Amino acid sequence: MSRETFLGLWLSLLAVMLTCRCLPLLLLRGRELPERVERALSLIPAAAFAALVANDLVKPDVYAANPTAALPVALASAVVLVVARKSGSLLWCAISGMAAYALLGVLL
Amino acid sequence: MKAQDLRTCLVLAAPVMLAYVSIGIPCGVIEAQAGLTPLMALLLSATYYSGAGQFMVGGMWLSGIPVVSILLSVSLVTTRQLLYSAAFAPYLGAERRGKSLAFAALVTDETFGVNLSQFSAREGWDLAHAQAVNVVCMLSWALANYLGAALGTVLELPTDVMSFGMTAIFICLLVSQLTDGVTGFAAAVAASTVALCKLLGFDGAAVFVGALAGVASGVVVGEVHAR
Repeated sequence: MSRETFLGLWLSLLAVMLTCRCLPLLLLRGRELPERVERALSLIPAAAFAALVANDLVKPDVYAANPTAALPVALASAVVLVVARKSGSLLWCAISGMAAYALLGVLL
Repeated sequence: MKAQDLRTCLVLAAPVMLAYVSIGIPCGVIEAQAGLTPLMALLLSATYYSGAGQFMVGGMWLSGIPVVSILLSVSLVTTRQLLYSAAFAPYLGAERRGKSLAFAALVTDETFGVNLSQFSAREGWDLAHAQAVNVVCMLSWALANYLGAALGTVLELPTDVMSFGMTAIFICLLVSQLTDGVTGFAAAVAASTVALCKLLGFDGAAVFVGALAGVASGVVVGEVHAR
């Protein structure tokens, strides 16, 4: 990638990212929001994290080529789910998840 | 900010920093393979600052995909940031505009989760604390990318294992948000919609569309439930 290409790509990506990260806050902050909008905003975290988890776990192309590839992912996710329920710790979830995934990848 | 406050922020940010170092190094390796120098990787990571986006840029460039297609695809993935930004609005109304925007410019999937849960649950959590979490996480990501790009192709890393650490963080953040039936329903709809989008081949916008569907369904179910 040449320096010119990098500069063009970087500045374009940065403009899109800053617009997405800043514009809604700029438009909504300090305003009295309707109850329905506040309710919608309160649901964003649960919906966003569920979407991110599904995005990471659902890989139709990979599983179609190798159906057993889903097994370590599903089992390691179950381990993380238990750790999350028991501890609520991001650190323990990250460590146990990576350890379970690596171990299951070797065993299965 | 007092030393004790900074320590609190570092403790909260530590799991995210650990995950960012784990993922940032392989991301830097891919960026080096795509032709970025360590300084370019550092600049991209410190400003654009998006794991998913940077992995996509490196991977798509190596696959020979045109720059315009890379830009459009990565921009679609970026749209979920619109929702994060909106979610912080109720907490930042009294803060100065410049400081609020500086904070918003550094919000990622992970720091969104950490900071939003603190804003809603912790007494005294303010913009300074939230920005401290953002900055230390950004520095860990940027430096890991720099290191990965500097080491380049010398490293052989189990990228799939490392990226599962990020998935584990998302699962933990999701579990912490499931407080009642309505949030559970919204989460289920969001996940199902993402799965459907990916099965239909609409990968780029899957997260944004899924999250929107989850929020909309949650609002409707909440209103029906309240009647």
